[in-house]
Amino acid sequence: MEITVKTTVIGTVGDVKKPSRVFREISTIWAIVCREVSVAFKSPGTLIMSLAMPLVMMGMIGGNLTQNMADGLNFDFGMFMLVGMMINMLFMATSQGVATLVDDHEDNFSEEMLIAPVSRYAIVIGKICGSAFSAVVTMLGTLIVGAVMGITLSFGQFLSILALSPLICLAAGSLAMLFIGLIKNRKAANLAVMLIIMPQMFLSGAIIPIGNSSGLLWVISRMLPMTYCLDLTRAVVYAGTPEYGAVTLFNPLVSITGTICITVVCLTVGTFFYARSEKDR
Amino acid sequence: MKVIEVNNLVKQYNGAKSPSVDGVSFSVDNGEFFAFLGPNGAGKTTTISILTTTLSTTSGEARIAGFDVDKDARRVRERIGIISQKPSLDKSLTAEENIRFHAALYGLYGYRPSFKLMPKAYKEQVTQLAEIVGIQDALFRPVKKLSGGMQRKLEIIRSLVHTPDVLFLDEPTQGLDAVSRRMLWDYINDVRNRYGTTIFLTTHYIDEAENVDKVCIINHGKIAFCATPDAMKRQIAYDPAPRVCLPSLEDAYVEFLNRDKGAA
Ligand SMILES: Nc1ncnc2c1ncn2[C@@H]1O[C@H](COP(=O)(O)OP(=O)(O)OP(=O)(O)O)[C@@H](O)[C@H]1O
Ligand SMILES: [Mg+2]
Repeated sequence: MEITVKTTVIGTVGDVKKPSRVFREISTIWAIVCREVSVAFKSPGTLIMSLAMPLVMMGMIGGNLTQNMADGLNFDFGMFMLVGMMINMLFMATSQGVATLVDDHEDNFSEEMLIAPVSRYAIVIGKICGSAFSAVVTMLGTLIVGAVMGITLSFGQFLSILALSPLICLAAGSLAMLFIGLIKNRKAANLAVMLIIMPQMFLSGAIIPIGNSSGLLWVISRMLPMTYCLDLTRAVVYAGTPEYGAVTLFNPLVSITGTICITVVCLTVGTFFYARSEKDR
Repeated sequence: MKVIEVNNLVKQYNGAKSPSVDGVSFSVDNGEFFAFLGPNGAGKTTTISILTTTLSTTSGEARIAGFDVDKDARRVRERIGIISQKPSLDKSLTAEENIRFHAALYGLYGYRPSFKLMPKAYKEQVTQLAEIVGIQDALFRPVKKLSGGMQRKLEIIRSLVHTPDVLFLDEPTQGLDAVSRRMLWDYINDVRNRYGTTIFLTTHYIDEAENVDKVCIINHGKIAFCATPDAMKRQIAYDPAPRVCLPSLEDAYVEFLNRDKGAA
């Protein structure tokens, strides 16, 4: 039998000090995040798109709603919609980022990740956190478009949304995983992203208040993670203002619990199906 | 000690009419240089995908270093490296970023945003490896701008960064020029001598398997023959006239496949 004493020779590193498992998982998540960020910088097209998207979503859809819908509400609609649109953009951009797992599959780069001795969760979480980068850029774009329209947040309100954005992106990415995990084709993935985002935009209260929803729409709104993310964000942004009661649905504790529970379930199920669909061919 | 054990392995792809790998059994000893040969579509890549934990089995079992590839996938992954037939590089990253990413996934070095910020040991190692395979000038160029052969060389050094116990080479020299092929084999032999790495090779350049310890031929998903190259040449003495020396492995291989076809 060979005795394998491994040292650093001819440039190859040996496993003299075996990296710990926790280090490797964190290292993996971080490496995937860095990869996503550097890929984003290398394709300026994507970055420009993530700034152009708010122009359409916030500028056109939001602007139109503000001009035509704001009457008769007992709170400032512009601010309500700006916050909703920022969260909506986080959801949209994160889902689009997660959908690039399909590109990795087509380019066979997923093999490089799947063959590594790391947890499948690390791969998926890395992808989601990496997508969060472009998502935050898109969110900042929304903020700028909002400012141009005369809708502004205080610096404190902005910071609190920024602080919540990792949790929101995780929720968004986990939901996307539920669908993307099973999809192996680019076109279908793009379609899936639209199917996830569009209904949520209207049913979760991003741009239209859902305080009066009932029946099936009420049930669906309670199943969407964005409903809880939005409510949590609004609870923080509107804390201590007279409008608080009019713009929020739940106690913030309910929102946090709802967000975390749905995220954990989606992430677990999504990752399981992703790993299985990559392997069971 | 057996480092690879395959027992009655069957793989039928979803929707396929018949199995691609059909009851394959073989084993490879620790430190052995093993060649897995067979014509196009024989089931070589399928077998490698199962052994490297990226493809599920239909039935049968496979073990690496005693660990089941299905139930103990992580332990298996810790011990293997692969150069797959289909390149698995990120084409938008640079060559070096691909290696840095790999090193981070194997926990060797934490990923830092630029090469300059990486630890000295890493920088030296990568520079040295790139020099060995002759891609030092391409290290900081995007992979999509490298030639096919250069990409192959990049994959070769990437697969060896974490010193695997078992290295799977699925047609590693496809697209390489003659000088590079020779250089690659010198390098792999060097790695074997230093670390006792087990090599699992598939190739269509049969001369590359001339010096291996053991050859198995797979045809239509079944193992057709397993022996040392010499034993194989002796057994397939297709030339009725007495010969002074043995045929080349390639002669024996082609003759064997022709007979196999005749028998089928
Ligand atoms: N994803 C897949 N789905 C269905 N059938 C597949 C799939 N991949 C391979 N096959 C089939 O399995 C058989 C074995 O393929 P495999 O790739 O293992 O051959 P190989 O021995 O590596 O051939 P080559 O020398 O051309 O690389 C082939 O008949 C092929 O068509
Ligand atoms: Mg093959």
